[in-house]
Amino acid sequence: MTVHENMRVYCPVCQAKFRFAPGWKEGDVVICPICGQKLRLKRSGDEWTGDRPEKGTEKEIRERVDEYARLKVFVFNDMKEELVQGLLAKNRRFGDFYCPCRMEHVPEFMCPCKPTRGGDVERNGKCYCGLYWKKV
Amino acid sequence: MSNKPKVYALSTCPYCKRTRRFLDEHKIAYDCIEVDMLDDAKQDEVLEEVEKLTGRRSFPVVIVGKEIIVGHDEDKLKKAFKL
Repeated sequence: MTVHENMRVYCPVCQAKFRFAPGWKEGDVVICPICGQKLRLKRSGDEWTGDRPEKGTEKEIRERVDEYARLKVFVFNDMKEELVQGLLAKNRRFGDFYCPCRMEHVPEFMCPCKPTRGGDVERNGKCYCGLYWKKV
Repeated sequence: MSNKPKVYALSTCPYCKRTRRFLDEHKIAYDCIEVDMLDDAKQDEVLEEVEKLTGRRSFPVVIVGKEIIVGHDEDKLKKAFKL
């Protein structure tokens, strides 16, 4: 099968698609460049999607949080651990890692939330809950 | 109606936890409503109440007398409770 340049991979966390890189194949584990989620590549028909290999685990959210900060060059402060505990509580009570400071349990508020991915940290210096901070 | 201070909080929010810890440490009795743990109908009602009081849906909210404190702010809490 030829991998076309315009192929995209769908990320179930940020619900966006990113470019399929040359050399990738089914089963490879890659990082979503938009939200930092670790994904196992899976082909379904003509589409590529990423499975969450450690879905709902503490390891998953800790890796995603660290990876996203690394990708965006954001930093944390001393609230990080308490906020991660909040994310873990959201997952236990509401089924996924939604922002611990928001009421709404909808996909756009899965951490890192859509406003954060849309530039809130760059604009405001921090994300809504204060997990990610702009590096000064 | 109770005259006790009232705290609106989210069960997962660390700032809400800090506010509650601050009040507990200062032995201040208060009523706390964990908004995210309410059933849907009650939650709508309480959220409307919070929005009416503060103009937004942000937590924690502390009501002490006529004063309304949004967010965890120890200086404002100290002032409101004369600590």
